Amino acid sequence: MAGPVIEVENVTFARNGNKVLDNVSFCVQPGDFYAIIGPNGGGKSTLLKIILGLLRPTGGKVRLLGGKPYETRWRCGYVPQFRTFDFHYPITVEEMVISGRLGHIPGIRKKYGSTDTRAAKETMERMGVQHLADREIRHLSGGEQQRVIIARALAGDPSLLLLDEPTVFVDAPTEVHFYDIINDLRSSMTIVLVTHDIGVIYSHVTRVACLNHSLYTHNGREITDDMITSAYQCPVDLIAHGLPHRVLRNHDREDSD
Amino acid sequence: MIGILAFEFFRNAIFAGILASIACGIIGTYVVVKRMVSVSGGISHAAFGGIGIGYFLGIDPIYGAFAFTTGVAVFMSILKEKAQQNLDTIIAAMWAAGMATGIIFIALTPGYTPDLFSFLFGNILLVPTSDLVIMVLLVIVILVLVGLFHLQLMAVTFDEEYAEVMNIPVTWLSLLLLLLVALTVVMLIRIVGIILVIALLALPAAIAREFSGHLTHVMLLSTGFGLVFTMGGLWLSYVLDVPSGATIILLATAGYAVMLAIKKIQRDKSQLPATSE
Repeated sequence: MAGPVIEVENVTFARNGNKVLDNVSFCVQPGDFYAIIGPNGGGKSTLLKIILGLLRPTGGKVRLLGGKPYETRWRCGYVPQFRTFDFHYPITVEEMVISGRLGHIPGIRKKYGSTDTRAAKETMERMGVQHLADREIRHLSGGEQQRVIIARALAGDPSLLLLDEPTVFVDAPTEVHFYDIINDLRSSMTIVLVTHDIGVIYSHVTRVACLNHSLYTHNGREITDDMITSAYQCPVDLIAHGLPHRVLRNHDREDSD
Repeated sequence: MIGILAFEFFRNAIFAGILASIACGIIGTYVVVKRMVSVSGGISHAAFGGIGIGYFLGIDPIYGAFAFTTGVAVFMSILKEKAQQNLDTIIAAMWAAGMATGIIFIALTPGYTPDLFSFLFGNILLVPTSDLVIMVLLVIVILVLVGLFHLQLMAVTFDEEYAEVMNIPVTWLSLLLLLLVALTVVMLIRIVGIILVIALLALPAAIAREFSGHLTHVMLLSTGFGLVFTMGGLWLSYVLDVPSGATIILLATAGYAVMLAIKKIQRDKSQLPATSE
């Protein structure tokens, strides 16, 4: 694809008179692995929802995959931060994963074809949940549920994957496995990862931005002291879990690897 | 008992029970899985407004109820989209305002209003043949629409936000579902009445949901439970000579209680030391 995957221009968003996003501009290029970090309540999830056209910005412009968000969003995979659905819904893992294909099926009367079944099977295998295919989602563990949610996002062969705090609900081994998977996906799609936890920003990220109502970017993958200070407005050690600057130093070492 | 089948009103009651069970089985399942139980309660009570207006205009009150609940459903989905209000409060307002409208219009209607009681509590033995025709049409409409939009309705009732990302017309399908709920509720008013509708809509599906993990299976099973409750209730009310609507609802509630008990026993069993593993 030629142009940028996401173009956000001077986007402002206010909720009940409070500015959640203030004049945010950034651009995600094809193949980027773009990480947006920032404190809770800094507007990260709101920004993703605006990119997907689920919320309308108060001001500014968004282009997604070269078009208007509501025209092109079906080509995105989305892993929301909060469970947007009821885990007691009578639906099996396979039914949920294959529902990620619905955007690809034209017409009013939708029916899954063999391509859809195959894609669902492949993504279930990739996320290691194929043995759960016929299980109801209410009988899954938290980690399994999260893997199914990610499998649904991948089932539609997305050009762009938007991940909102994808590891919040999972245990440490799943988290490691999850970042291996993300690494595999990087060759086939653009990824935007949103997290409040600087610890998860790891070596494969191509660009980092900090968001706390305003967006602080930097040409490259390092997080600079400036960005952190502006975004968090608090000493770095607070957000690096009591290990001041550890994340930054790790980063430098990985750079030289 | 068999001899009574010779009477048209009893045959009508049986047909009405079967049709109601199908409508409840399908629409009630959506109501339960999408957690629209209180919305449905609001719509059914608001229907009283339509019945009052029907009386006032001198038309069959049930037509008044159909028109009024349709309006209420549309109005509610607009409010939900635009007003950004707590849906709970909107439901409560509509619930009470609908009933109040009904009371005002009935008071304004000259003369005596004879079968008000049957609209509040229903009487499956009084379903006229003309209503059966409406019920058949409604069941056909439900079957066709649900068959046509099955996957999309499932996506919308399961996860609205993700359905929107996949460009499924969430707003329209939610409205469609709300309209189907409204029509089903009015259809059930004849049988169990405004006040009891909600139980017949929700309980069979709630019981079925515990025994099945597929949306379509829940619908089928729920229809089956609905049949057991309406037919069983009809028979019991005949044998005991008590009101049919109330008997049907008490039977459904008893069924729900039994299901809860079975689930509790199953849970207790599975919490015993896992000797089988």
